[in-house]
Amino acid sequence: MLTEPEWQALSLSAHVGLWATLVCLLPGIGCGWLLARKQFFAKPAFEALLFMPMVLPPTVPGYLLLVTFGSQGVIGQWLKHNFNIEFVFNWKGAVLASAIIAFPLMVQAVKLSVQMIDRRLEQAASTLGASPLKVWLTVTLPLMLPGILIGLIMVFSRSLGEFGATITFVGNIAGETRTLPLAIYSATHQIGGDAMAIRLIIISLAFAFFALLLSNLLSRRAEKWLGVHRAGT
Amino acid sequence: MQVLIGLRHYGADFVRALRINSVTFILFSLLCSFATAGEVKLYAAASLTDALTELGASYQKTHPGVVIKKSFAGSSTLAKQIENGAPADIFISADNDWGNYLLKRGVLAAESYKKLLGNELVLIAPVASDIKVELDPAFNLAASFNGRLCTGDTASVPVGKYAKQSLVSYGWWEAISPRIVGTEDVRTALAFVERAECNVGIVYKTDAYLSKKVKIAAIFPAASHSPVEYPGALTKNAGQDAKAFWDFLQTDDAKAVFTRYGFTLLY
Repeated sequence: MLTEPEWQALSLSAHVGLWATLVCLLPGIGCGWLLARKQFFAKPAFEALLFMPMVLPPTVPGYLLLVTFGSQGVIGQWLKHNFNIEFVFNWKGAVLASAIIAFPLMVQAVKLSVQMIDRRLEQAASTLGASPLKVWLTVTLPLMLPGILIGLIMVFSRSLGEFGATITFVGNIAGETRTLPLAIYSATHQIGGDAMAIRLIIISLAFAFFALLLSNLLSRRAEKWLGVHRAGT
Repeated sequence: MQVLIGLRHYGADFVRALRINSVTFILFSLLCSFATAGEVKLYAAASLTDALTELGASYQKTHPGVVIKKSFAGSSTLAKQIENGAPADIFISADNDWGNYLLKRGVLAAESYKKLLGNELVLIAPVASDIKVELDPAFNLAASFNGRLCTGDTASVPVGKYAKQSLVSYGWWEAISPRIVGTEDVRTALAFVERAECNVGIVYKTDAYLSKKVKIAAIFPAASHSPVEYPGALTKNAGQDAKAFWDFLQTDDAKAVFTRYGFTLLY
């Protein structure tokens, strides 16, 4: 049903998406929890900074990545020299670009789920003698799980859709950085590429719909589970 | 509490202001889209950016009231846009394939179609590079440099298609193709080589001339690829202003500008 270049784009997208999700997981939990629970110096500024990739044109993070993480960039040269890691023009760069663009979605989902937690549950655990770390691991974290799961779905889906930062930073290389959106873009520019574009577009539509449906169902279930009452239900 | 109420008021005002502003904005853009008298929409291959920008500016000076609106991109991008109804008046492609593509679809005014310019295909490297290239099938291009080779997308963008033909003709394609970064137009490839993110690039001679940060390592002989030709035409919805500008592009004054940028003349 699908041609070789189409499978290539799909599997590369899945690969990049999974890695981006993995990269966002721990920092996302940390930042989301921090924003929901802690007050600290310049918190609004920190939050604004964190969420900037969501509103910036994706070409801006893409260009900044190219000039910092590129082979001529300060960080890029340092990484190459010390760890022999290169980001520019390869799939690792695509992961980095996707992760940066999708990270706010992870933070947002975790933050909301922490805010929904009934703090009396944590207090009860404390009064029963659990250490703060134990409370966090056995009460807070399990209650955050739905949010974390929703965040992961959102990050993965957003990564699949990442275009601007990716093409600016790592280019459009078949089998290396040509993910689903870039493959669609390339197909629409080829003579006779419309059939390929349409097949990939249908896959994108179906995936986006089911990912959002799943995250909606999950958040409904989570709200019920955590005892949040929403109007009309 | 006071603060909260204040904030909420501020929020409501803000939303209202936003709404009014967006209504004005939409009206304004609608007005703008109607005011198109004296506009010539020129869609041209990215490699023509500088020459046509200069020609457009000088034409506007002598023809007040006419605005040349330019859209430069890969010929593939432009052809697909025009096929799907982009309001172009003039189309100039960097290869015959995309020119013929639109000609066959009846979008172009066939009687105006002609080959305007020629160009050459060159292999470039950042100025600091010490690459030495021999145009010989025995030479191993893939082993002669590290990193990637930037050129246009080899399936659709003209410069990439020419580059593939030349690489194939020297037997270099197999070894080098996994390292090719195919960009959406020739200027993007040039920019990657200028930043030394790509250590080698294949662009047109005229692009290489424009940049002080790259040097030409080799000029591909014309026999190694199909001739680099720029066909152009008026589209079927071109008006009088567009026709006049199209004629201007074929005057001796315009020819002198094209020659100065390094193009060869085919008309």
